[in-house]
Amino acid sequence: MGKDRELILVYSSMDSVRDMRDINVMVTPQFYTLKKEALPVKYAYQAKRVAPAIFDGLLEDSSEYEYMVFKDGDDDEWTLIAYNLNKIRSFLLSKGFVIDTISKLFFAQQVVDMFDRPVAIGDSEALVSLEGSVVVVPSVALSEDEKPSKIFDDSFTPKRGVGIKNASANSIISTKQSIIFSVIFIAFAIMFFVEGARYGSSSQAELKIAELYEAYPSLESSYTRDSIIKKYKSIDKIERRKRDIIKKISIMIFDGVSLASLNINLNGFKANIICKDAKVSKRVKALSLKEGFKTIQIANSNDMLIEGSL
Amino acid sequence: MNWKNYQNELIVLFAFLVMFSGYIYKTNTIENEAISAIESQKTLLDMKEVIALKNLWTDKKTSQRVKQLQSIVPISKVNWSNKRKKIKASYRGLSARELNSLITKILNLPVEITLLDIQDISKSYSVEFQCKW
Repeated sequence: MGKDRELILVYSSMDSVRDMRDINVMVTPQFYTLKKEALPVKYAYQAKRVAPAIFDGLLEDSSEYEYMVFKDGDDDEWTLIAYNLNKIRSFLLSKGFVIDTISKLFFAQQVVDMFDRPVAIGDSEALVSLEGSVVVVPSVALSEDEKPSKIFDDSFTPKRGVGIKNASANSIISTKQSIIFSVIFIAFAIMFFVEGARYGSSSQAELKIAELYEAYPSLESSYTRDSIIKKYKSIDKIERRKRDIIKKISIMIFDGVSLASLNINLNGFKANIICKDAKVSKRVKALSLKEGFKTIQIANSNDMLIEGSL
Repeated sequence: MNWKNYQNELIVLFAFLVMFSGYIYKTNTIENEAISAIESQKTLLDMKEVIALKNLWTDKKTSQRVKQLQSIVPISKVNWSNKRKKIKASYRGLSARELNSLITKILNLPVEITLLDIQDISKSYSVEFQCKW
């Protein structure tokens, strides 16, 4: 993505540009501050972490600066570049660049070896490597054999660059906010998925059913179950009713009451109860009516005929 | 429209959609689980009922237990007929105590009572009992 685009050298005295699209830019030391330090660290991210302390006092407002670090050789010396991306963007905009069409930002220091011969920037200045640092020098300061002769082109493109597009320029929310929100949402999403997966596991009832299916394989069919229920439920209901009637009739047999006859068949029941006097008869009648039985007092006697269906 | 200008919003939107789909997944799972739990509970109750009814009304020991109705009162008072899981029994001259024990026994048997006829004849009882199982 980096090397297949045109590389434009950006310097403070440059003219405005037009229709510059899909490009990379390389800035001169006019846009960054350079330091070389021997640091007892192994990795770039460690060097980047200590970079603000190294530039302490050198920068106007260090909070606005970002840093690029890289190693030139095998020794402990690190090259640290501090740059203000907002300032660079502002400058590019003022010169007619469209920021969104710029892919990468590079620093001249990244390709210090390429500046072994001076490269002209404008009419009066040149970029040249001096003691391992790329610097801007007035053209007049260069001797005749050092006059700018090298042409700046895409071959100057380093491997690593900095993204210059300000993704959040038109955004309502900043990158930091978007990261925070995303992390919160993803955390909730994980929670919901885990919770959902947990609910999806087998319930106690299902496990119990599986056990019963194992013990009674024939009951696995709902048709069989319905057929058994239909057959035995009606038997169960009627037989419970018959036994219930006998128990209720037996409750009516107390002192002064005797059972003359009781008949229970498939259609209903009929009981003839002999009561010794009207008071007992009245009590039996009350008990019978309470149970919802049809109660008839036999004419000219205290005896009761109780009947009902099943 | 350059989508890259809104990449922050797009990232947040994507994360939100992931969260939302997680929420929908969870809600659906809970709803399905609740429906499935109700169905399972119903099936379980049905099965328990079926098993209980089957065990009660097809008990293989019923035949043996029914035979006890023959010996619960003195043999001279009983006229007994047993044909293919059907009983016809006539009891004569039962005392109130004998009648009580006979009826209690009958009530505790898992049989279909087709006829139970009790008559008080001069302070002794006669019983006609027919059942099947």
